[in-house]
Parts: sequence; structure tokens; C-alpha cells
Amino acid sequence: MDPALKLITILIIAIEISFTQNLILNFIIIIVSLLILILNKISLKSLLYIFLVPIIPAIGIYAAQLINGSTNYGIILATRVYAYVFLGTTFTKTASIKDLIFTLEQNFKLPAKFAYGVLGAFNLTETIRKEIKQIKLAAAMRNVHLTFFSPTLYFKSIMSALNWSNLLAEGMTSHLFVEDSPRTHFKNININKLDYVKMIIIIFLVQIVLIKF
Amino acid sequence: MQKTWNLRNIILLTLISIICGIIFFATGFIYNSLSLMLTPFGLAPFANDILIGLWIMAAPLASFIFKAPGASILSEVLGSVVEMFLGGQWGAATMIGGFIQGIASELGFTLTKYKHYDWIGIISTTLTTTIITFIWDCFKNGYSAYSIHMLILLFITRMISIFIFGGILTKLVTNMLTRSNVIK
Repeated sequence: MDPALKLITILIIAIEISFTQNLILNFIIIIVSLLILILNKISLKSLLYIFLVPIIPAIGIYAAQLINGSTNYGIILATRVYAYVFLGTTFTKTASIKDLIFTLEQNFKLPAKFAYGVLGAFNLTETIRKEIKQIKLAAAMRNVHLTFFSPTLYFKSIMSALNWSNLLAEGMTSHLFVEDSPRTHFKNININKLDYVKMIIIIFLVQIVLIKF
Repeated sequence: MQKTWNLRNIILLTLISIICGIIFFATGFIYNSLSLMLTPFGLAPFANDILIGLWIMAAPLASFIFKAPGASILSEVLGSVVEMFLGGQWGAATMIGGFIQGIASELGFTLTKYKHYDWIGIISTTLTTTIITFIWDCFKNGYSAYSIHMLILLFITRMISIFIFGGILTKLVTNMLTRSNVIK
């Protein structure tokens, strides 16, 4: 399925479960997502990760409803946390940000500067992570401990981001990336008509579950 | 609009959201331990509301740096897409949340006609962000089931958090950037 259509489908489902209270639908979403993930050969490690990571918020929200709200609602909310995470993981494990951005650019008229700008920045994530670590270390050597509370940490990180964005933009321009000019594509992405049909069927099935149960 | 959103600024904007995301994730254990501590008392939602300011920080920060319409929404949406791919704790809810927070923060600057990048702008964006994200959480996190005094407490906690992180901290960072002549 086309990444952009997949994303839209997932977002529609996520919005719907936010505004409705349906335990069965939550379970169906979790089970179907799990099946899709297993069919896509998800590693045991990532599977454990998505089971363990939402456990604290899920229990927290359940306990809060148990003590200060209603129990039934608590179960729905806890399963909802899992449904969100499973929906999100189904998307991120079966589509890459590259494919998503390329199809958005070619089929949904996203301006090229946004597509390639975001992609460029995304690829800098690791570098930025290292920079932040370095800034913290450098400060620690002078016995200054920077936390998420210190403006200096943000200031220095933004300064380094400024530098990186200048370099990257210059690099892209010198490789003849011209904003707002038409581009040719190495890989043409066309949306299959069947993908629209799939999307409509999935959303239709969700509505049936919502109405029936 | 056309001039502000050139290639360099789009990259910078995305990087700013990534920075906020990384700094927040590095302290992710604070959320989890806070949440665990509060769980036995049924007060786990407070963990969410105490730290929400960090979540939305990218939006006012971007608005203060670029001083242009759209900065808040763009930074939050781009940030949430990146965050989802990096494996956030919230999965699909990250994207919807990002979009709503972006609109909420943007509205605060729209109400001041994009002219007040000072305390008035901060107060306005704090108010809109608090109100809109609170309504969203009424549905998403089931706040509507809580009693009225718990809701009031949650609302006040959220407002203070957004004011401290999205307001005071943002202002301090932009002051530093202004002093070093990075932004006007």
C-alpha cells in the first residue's frame, strides 16, 4: 500500500478511537497490527519493546481511572494506549520516511524544498544527537551540568543546528537543487487504484465494528 | 511566507524540533518514574500535565526564532513525524497530538496578529495551548471522567508547565540568541 494512503488510514483510525469508547475495536486493532507486524518479520527485540514501552502510561492511566474515574473507562484507555503504539509501529515498520516523503512530493504536491529539506534534516538526527552529547560533556568538564532545564543547552544546540542547516542548504544548492523549479525523479511513484479500494475497505470495516459492538 | 520558508530555514526548523525531541527523550525516564510514583495514588495524569510544557516547547521556540506565520504548526508537525519514526512512546497518537499542539500554539500568535513576540505573545500562546490541548486530552486520555476539582488541578498544572517551558525557558533561549545577533 502507498505510504501516504497508509498514513492517512492510520490517522483516521487513531482519531476515531480517540473519540469513541470501544474495547473490542481496540483489541481488534492490536491483534490485526500484531499479525501484520509478524507477517513483516518484526524482530523479537522490537516486539518486546512495543509491549514494554507503553506499560507504564497504560497502567498509570488505568489506575487513575480506577481511583478517580470509572473502571470500565480505564480498561478502554489502557488498551487505547496500546492501540496507538501498535498502529504507529505498523506504519513505521512497513514504510520508510523516505518513501513517505517521495510519494507526498510526487502524488500529493508537497513542495520539493519541504520534502528534501525535511529528509536532509532527518538524516542529521544522529549528528545532532552527538552534538548535544558533546555540548553536555564540554560543559561537564567545566563543572557545569546542563539539563533539559538549562537555556544554555538549547542555545548551544540551536547554534550548532544553524551551522548544520547552512552547510546542508549550501551543499544541496551547489548540487543544483533549485527551490520551486520542476524536478525529474529517479524513482517514479504511482499510486495503485487498488490502494484506494483497500483504504476504503479498512475504514469501512472499522465503522462496522464501531456500530455493531 | 515565501521568503521565510526557504530551504535553509526548513532544515533549521526541522532540526529545532529534532533537538527538542532529543532533549526530551534523554529525560524520558523522568516521565516514567514520575508516572510510576503517582500511579498508586491514581494521579498518573499529572505526570503528563507536569511535563507537557517540554512536549510543546518546539512550537513557541520556532515562532520566536522565525517570527513568521506557520512556524508553530510546521515545527510540531515535522517534529512529530520525525519522532514517530524514531520510535516515540505514543505511536500514532504522536502525529495527531503534534498537529493539535501546533495549531494550539499557532493560534496564540495569530490572535496577536504575529506582532507580539514578547510577554503578550507568550501569555496568549500559553492560554490557547493549555485550553486546546486540555480539550483534546478530555477525549484522548479520558479526563472527562475525573471529578471537577481534579480537572481544575490538572488544568492549572498544565498551564504552569506550559508557561515555564513554552514561555519562560523559550524567552530565555531567544534572549540568548538575540544577544548573539543570531535573530533580530
